[in-house]
Amino acid sequence: MTAVLEIKDLHVSVEGKEILKGVDLTIRQGEVHALMGPNGSGKSTMAYAIAGHPHYEVTGGDILFNGESILDLEPDERAKLGIFLAFQYPVAIPGVSFANFLRAAVSNVRGYKERAREQAAKSGDGKVIGSELMPMREFRKELMAKMDRFHVDRSFANRYLNEGFSGGEKKRGEVLQMAMLEPKIAILDESDSGLDIDALRVVADGINKLVADGMGALLITHYQRILNYVKPDKVSVFYDGRIVLTGGPEVAHMLEEKGYKWVEEDLAKELAAA
Amino acid sequence: MTIKEMTSIYSITAAGVDAIGQRYEEPEWLRQARRAAWETFESIPWPTYKEETWRRTRLTGFNLDDFTLAQESHPRADSRAALPADLLANLEKIDSGGALIFLDNTLIYADLDEDLAAQGVIFTDLRTALDEHAELVRAHLGALVPASENKFAALHYALWENGAFLYAPKNITVEKPFQVIVQFSDGKAHFHHTLLIGEENSELTVVEDFMGAANGMSDSVAEIYPHDAARLHYLRLQNLDHTAWNFATMRASLQRDALYRHLQASWGSRLSKVWIDLEMEQPGSHGELLGLYFPQDHQHLDHHTNQNHKRERATSDLLFKGALDDQARSVYQGIIRVWPGAQKTDAYQKNDNLILGPHARADSIPGLEIEADDVRCTHGATSAKVQEEYIFYLMARGLSRRTAKRMIVQGFFEEVLNRVPVPGVRTKLEDEIARRVGLE
Ligand SMILES: Nc1ncnc2c1ncn2[C@@H]1O[C@H](COP(=O)(O)OP(=O)(O)OP(=O)(O)O)[C@@H](O)[C@H]1O
Ligand SMILES: [Mg+2]
Repeated sequence: MTAVLEIKDLHVSVEGKEILKGVDLTIRQGEVHALMGPNGSGKSTMAYAIAGHPHYEVTGGDILFNGESILDLEPDERAKLGIFLAFQYPVAIPGVSFANFLRAAVSNVRGYKERAREQAAKSGDGKVIGSELMPMREFRKELMAKMDRFHVDRSFANRYLNEGFSGGEKKRGEVLQMAMLEPKIAILDESDSGLDIDALRVVADGINKLVADGMGALLITHYQRILNYVKPDKVSVFYDGRIVLTGGPEVAHMLEEKGYKWVEEDLAKELAAA
Repeated sequence: MTIKEMTSIYSITAAGVDAIGQRYEEPEWLRQARRAAWETFESIPWPTYKEETWRRTRLTGFNLDDFTLAQESHPRADSRAALPADLLANLEKIDSGGALIFLDNTLIYADLDEDLAAQGVIFTDLRTALDEHAELVRAHLGALVPASENKFAALHYALWENGAFLYAPKNITVEKPFQVIVQFSDGKAHFHHTLLIGEENSELTVVEDFMGAANGMSDSVAEIYPHDAARLHYLRLQNLDHTAWNFATMRASLQRDALYRHLQASWGSRLSKVWIDLEMEQPGSHGELLGLYFPQDHQHLDHHTNQNHKRERATSDLLFKGALDDQARSVYQGIIRVWPGAQKTDAYQKNDNLILGPHARADSIPGLEIEADDVRCTHGATSAKVQEEYIFYLMARGLSRRTAKRMIVQGFFEEVLNRVPVPGVRTKLEDEIARRVGLE
């Protein structure tokens, strides 16, 4: 079955201020949907709302995953469904090693914990015997393989999560996490920002590989540049808390050329006509 | 003997003090020292909040009359196999070169690597050391921490009965740690003494673990002597019951080019008042002080540290980290003192607090007193809550809220854990942190 994430007439407020004013958007597995829009228009707000950030209050509309609302789910439950958010600004967490954290995350998302508990229940005495974590050797092997495949330096594993990472390293780290968690739908919030040309290629290449494996991607970006590497099926324009325009790759080119003034003027004309 | 006499010899009174000297047939100098300490104790008023040292730590509910001395003696275990299971399990977490286990004042188990004994290493209880190495004990006992140090030190010297004694001769390097486990019975007053002596260019590591004393009190003193170029590592794990009152005074005196590293892990007690003092007595010495604490419920843990730089070219480095849950409180008061002429001093002090509980509170009072001009001294203190953005980031990756919080707290302590010199101790500390954050 192809997973589908549907956003329907979504309204979101932050600290009492309405930021999203009725967003409609559908993302399918295997598709790339690019989303562009001016600073402060609410793109990250939408990304956070999809991931379930507690500060972002959904005041109307719905978010459906395979037809079922996920609004009542905690962020970790959404992650387990196969939703991934690559952060625009990944946080650095002191003292938490990349490998340890990722092993716990992968184990949870792949259901090692549930299986360990089921076995415990079956064994009768209710004691959890097996580890709730993916076996270390297996995990290491997969991590190393994916570091190579996604061109991430192996030293990442032993570093602390995003601590002292350069901007580009953080973004590569997000792609590596995505590769390990194997989501069905990923929201990539400016994964191309602040990257040099080589890093941009690496990140784009990573996204392409995962899309080829069946991942659906919502690519939030300010620049046409990444779309030279990752070919979008659709491009939408986000403006003042709404999607105002959806089309093919040509939309990105228009924006690059004319800027958001073009969208504004278009909107004004539309309003005048109505 | 009348019943009254029988009880009075275990009481915290002048009679109780004299009775100890008689019971152990102690030499006169020691009996006199006890009496003098008792007088000192009586002459020092009980602390009140009017003293700066006690302003944030009140002894409300503490009453010395509630306690008597531990009087039972316990049978000796001939082998590790004969030890109670829990003590044995604790012992075996660390691969040690020697072990002492105390039940109250009784040494119930001792072992020491034969090669080390042959090289002149002495590792035994203070009572035996007093019999067999009287001069060594006499020269060091009370020489670093005098009875006049504070009211609790005075009480300690009047009433101590036993403790750990470790001595390394010149040029002896011992790789494996020595382990001391101190188990206190409930409802009593305990006065354990620790004496560590490393002669010139020796190296020693000691792990000392305190447990028990439910509804009781512990009033301990530790004196540590790293002589010229000696390297001493003392890891002190305070795991007392959460109903115990805990007072401890510790001091290390670092001679020329000596290294002393102290780890203080404070988990237990209802209230702790702990003084740790590093005396950089001679040029080129280096002191390190690592601390972890993690009070919960109504626990109140108060630590004082002193990095005392008396001579030139000495360095010291302090890192104290605490997480506080529920209504717990911590007080950290630390001072770096640089004496006139202690040029090229390099001293560092940092205290970080992570506030987990809604009503938890951490007070941090760092201080500097500098009387030399060519020095580098840095200090800082932080206090912060667990950042919601961290939790969200980890949850968005599939971790439950609890696991996310546990990882963040463990990560917070990582800076200290990374510097713990004994792997078995690191594991114990990690387990205790995990237990306190709550495993799923
Ligand atoms: N946690 C928050 N607290 C207060 N205001 C917020 C918060 N998050 C977002 N906002 C506000 O919501 C609006 C939309 O912000 P958002 O980050 O979603 O924009 P964006 O489209 O991602 O912008 P950019 O392109 O700069 O990343 C902004 O006005 C921002 O100030
Ligand atoms: Mg944004």
